Amino acid sequence: MQWIFDFFGSSVGKKLMMALTGLCFIGFLTGHLIGNLTLYGGRDAFNAYAEHLHALGPVITLVEWGLLTLAAIHVFTGMLLFLQNLKARPVRYAINKSGGGRTISSALMPYTGFAILLFLIYHLLQFHFVDKTFTTIYDIVSLAFANVLNISFYIIAMVVVALHIRHGFWSLFQTLGANHPKYMPMVMGGSLVFSLIFGIGFGFLPVYISFSG
Amino acid sequence: MTKTINLTLKIWRQSGPGSKGRLETYIANTISTDMSFLEMLDVVNEQLTLDGKEPIAFDYDCREGICGQCGCVVNGRPHGPENGTTLCQLHMRHFSDGDTIFVEPFRARAFKIVKDLVIDRSPLDKIIQAGGYISASTGGCQDANAILIPQDTAEKAMDAAACIGCGACVAACPNASAMLFVSAKVSHLVLLPQGRPEAAQRVVSMLKTMDELCFGNCSNERECEAECPKEISIINIARMNREYIKAGIASTVQ
Amino acid sequence: MQLNANIPGGPLAQKWDRHRFELKLVNPANKRKFNIIVVGTGLAGGSAAASLAELGYNVKSFCIQDTPRRAHSIAAQGGINAAKNYQNEGDSIWRLFYDTVKGGDFRAREANVYRLAQISNEIIDQCVAQGVPFARDYGGLLANRSFGGAQVSRTFYARGQTGQQLLLGAYSALMRQVAQGRVTMFPRREMLDIVVIDGQARGIIVRNLITGETERHAADAVVMCTGGYGNVFFLSTNAMASNVTAAYRAHKKGALFANPCFTQIHPTCIPVHGTYQSKLTLMSESLRNDGRVWVPLKPGDDRRPGDIPEDERDYYLENKYPSFGNLVPRDVASRNSKEQCDKSKGVGETHLAVYLDFKDAIQRDGRDVIEKKYGNLFQMYEKITAENPYETPMMIYPAVHYTMGGLWVDYNLMSSVPGLFVLGEANFSDHGANRLGASALMQGLADGYFVIPYTIGGYLAGTPLKPVNTDHYEFKDADTAVNEMTRKLLDINGSRTVDDFHRELGMIMWDYCGMARNNDGLAKARGMIQKLREKFWRDVTIPGQGVDFNQSLERAGRVADFLEFAELMILDALERQESCGGHFNEGFQTDENEALRDDDNFCHVSAWEHRGAGEEPVMHKEPLVFENVKLTQRSYK
Repeated sequence: MQWIFDFFGSSVGKKLMMALTGLCFIGFLTGHLIGNLTLYGGRDAFNAYAEHLHALGPVITLVEWGLLTLAAIHVFTGMLLFLQNLKARPVRYAINKSGGGRTISSALMPYTGFAILLFLIYHLLQFHFVDKTFTTIYDIVSLAFANVLNISFYIIAMVVVALHIRHGFWSLFQTLGANHPKYMPMVMGGSLVFSLIFGIGFGFLPVYISFSG
Repeated sequence: MTKTINLTLKIWRQSGPGSKGRLETYIANTISTDMSFLEMLDVVNEQLTLDGKEPIAFDYDCREGICGQCGCVVNGRPHGPENGTTLCQLHMRHFSDGDTIFVEPFRARAFKIVKDLVIDRSPLDKIIQAGGYISASTGGCQDANAILIPQDTAEKAMDAAACIGCGACVAACPNASAMLFVSAKVSHLVLLPQGRPEAAQRVVSMLKTMDELCFGNCSNERECEAECPKEISIINIARMNREYIKAGIASTVQ
Repeated sequence: MQLNANIPGGPLAQKWDRHRFELKLVNPANKRKFNIIVVGTGLAGGSAAASLAELGYNVKSFCIQDTPRRAHSIAAQGGINAAKNYQNEGDSIWRLFYDTVKGGDFRAREANVYRLAQISNEIIDQCVAQGVPFARDYGGLLANRSFGGAQVSRTFYARGQTGQQLLLGAYSALMRQVAQGRVTMFPRREMLDIVVIDGQARGIIVRNLITGETERHAADAVVMCTGGYGNVFFLSTNAMASNVTAAYRAHKKGALFANPCFTQIHPTCIPVHGTYQSKLTLMSESLRNDGRVWVPLKPGDDRRPGDIPEDERDYYLENKYPSFGNLVPRDVASRNSKEQCDKSKGVGETHLAVYLDFKDAIQRDGRDVIEKKYGNLFQMYEKITAENPYETPMMIYPAVHYTMGGLWVDYNLMSSVPGLFVLGEANFSDHGANRLGASALMQGLADGYFVIPYTIGGYLAGTPLKPVNTDHYEFKDADTAVNEMTRKLLDINGSRTVDDFHRELGMIMWDYCGMARNNDGLAKARGMIQKLREKFWRDVTIPGQGVDFNQSLERAGRVADFLEFAELMILDALERQESCGGHFNEGFQTDENEALRDDDNFCHVSAWEHRGAGEEPVMHKEPLVFENVKLTQRSYK
């Protein structure tokens, strides 16, 4: 079993962990977004969707623990990579200029990643670890998005998520070795499309709710 | 027609690996725009010598863009502002009169500074020693035409093999990673049928050595391919990742 | 001194086989007891060090660059010859042999050249096995192109980077041996002397270019693969670090220097454009496959090339040499460029250039075909000159490129100092008075992969070698002398830089010992060189210290040697009262201005012996015996 540690322990191995966990999150976000679209259906639709989820019982718990594990791997590996990368160039350049490879989203990856972690904690505290005995999830959500600060915060967070996905999506294909001149343009396009879908899809919800509520 | 320009240079001076370096200012006047960047530095050095000062140490050899020995970071970019160009092939016509130019050595933890702009790139040799070869001892090889290699494959191998080992990819990488260098060699050899038998061992050993030498990790920022004087593509990095996955999952290589 | 080339007997085609059989062998278990020093890591040095280590010898490999992958073999663009006859054009070992001997204007040893042609095929096999990505046809077979001096396509190539790819092959083989502990690598070392003990080469003194300290290394044999001396001309296509120092210092220790005046001026280089220029850039000879060389018909025609109509252009190579056309050998092409420029038909700002035009080839084959063949060369041209060769013709002019002369070696590649072997461009053996394109790579690799592994075994097995170590007084003396010279150079504290002297020397050599020479000019140049040398030792200024990374000091030592060596070249050129190949004495030419040989008096190798400072060197003749080819006036018409 040592080989598993060796395999994932190398620089490429760590990147593979980032890519694989990242791929899972993209899957999760897709599901999450589809689920959240029920918000457009109003209170009943959304609450029904929530009910449905909870009815899954142990499955949902399993998924939650799974996601937590993936997140732990993604965050821990990401931090390790970030620190190693910092250490790989102890003396910085006096002048830094891009040759045209970097994008804002690729340059900010570790920082958007960290920001997403903070957002996630807030998001879970706000909507997940909350007493739902005398209320429904829809009420919590609509109450939260009655506040302009909250709305702005969520929109900014979704911009950050979009940036993270903008680079993360194609990057994970590259890391997994899927770079072919025929398909890479589609992957690059996919990267943009996904980041926009997630950014707008999630980002517009608070606005919609505050107006519809 | 030849025209001349005047420049202010801010050049990194450092007397040895352990000593503290600093940027120093030099004035370079009436520099012909037909000069290469290194010839411009020659002119500065000639003047420094005549003034009884120590000339700037910088590496160079072939001065035709193929040996890979030259290279500095010019205004924040390895080998300067022109794409697909080594420093010796960068001509002063790409600068304007009155420009201030910052010249720094390639910086990475793995590359120690020898003096001024001269660095120690021996870690790249160590990576090649870990497996950047085909074990074909001299003699006893079959006829060169015995194995057909599709033209397209040979061309791809050549694209990767064009690497000159200058280290600009490391210098350009925000993480000082050597992934483009390693992947170019892995790709070159793995694309050819002759290199396939050792493919798994090669990719694992070379990557392990790269990690041990304290290069950073790839985060797909693509600065390496943007700055590579031979314009080697990150498609090679993807190919290496693929080989690594194959070697890790499907082979018994340690 | 009697020179014995040790050429084996028997028919030409069997000499090498026979010799290999007769050479003594070192038992595989005993090989590890022998230490071999290899200086230089180009095609010859890299392949020799790797091959010797594979056999089991302990090898120490030295190079002047920061890594062995940078030796100047890397810059060879065009290709490597082999007699594979893959194109079914009637090529054969014999034809390659004959072309090479003829191309060298019959001033090379038959036996060496034949061996070279024999080995050429194995080299291609070896390189392909190592993963050299040679160009291939659509079907996957190896592709070939033609080169100057041959009427068959026998040149294997990897785009315009053949030298690089072959060198990386040798380098990777070397790295494999380093990893296995069979080779110890010493980069950034400059060989400054050989150590001769009891008449045998037993070690070297090197300067560690980083610390500036000297180091002593002992061995049972020394293999020098230190390249050519083209930089004596200051401007050449050689790398900046290419120098004569290692060879010249070996020469001072007793190794004879053969045919130093045989230098090759390559016809297709980018013309000189300023006094600050540090080197010249070659454009591969392969360009002459598709490019047409021309000048305006009228002298002094300053119109832009596009404005000169077809009937006012002189395609002088095609007109003068209908059967070889633009593909005449290098010396012929270079001399013709000079001739046109001397007639004021030169083009460009300096009028020291001719056109190399691809318009017809682009019209015939399409731009993409030309781009595929020469794309990187065109790109390089555009980078340097800021002109687009797809649209305006290239401008080219000859430049010093290769030196056929070198340390004298016998058939075993051993110099006149026992135990000192010399390979590649550093020796003199295979190219005569002119080297054909794509033959240098062939020779370097032949020497390193397939000759030295056998011949050095014969020497080691057949020679009693006393144990020596670096405390021996010969080591101490050599070490002291090297440091003494460094101190002397640093103490001068004059007013002119090293490059300044080098540039002046180069001008003298180019003007009087370049493409065309004459006795008066050579005699004059000799005096100028002596004066310049004297001035150098009085007035050079070298900043910095000896025990430090000091590039000015490195160059100073090299220029000091060039200043002595240049005189030897002049002497050799003066002594050879004929024209042959790259040595063109204006006093000896045919009615058609071709080189006129004097086979009765000069069909020999001139091997010079150093007799100490201030003494005239002594010339020894090795007669060249041609039993298999008939000496003819070279004709490429």
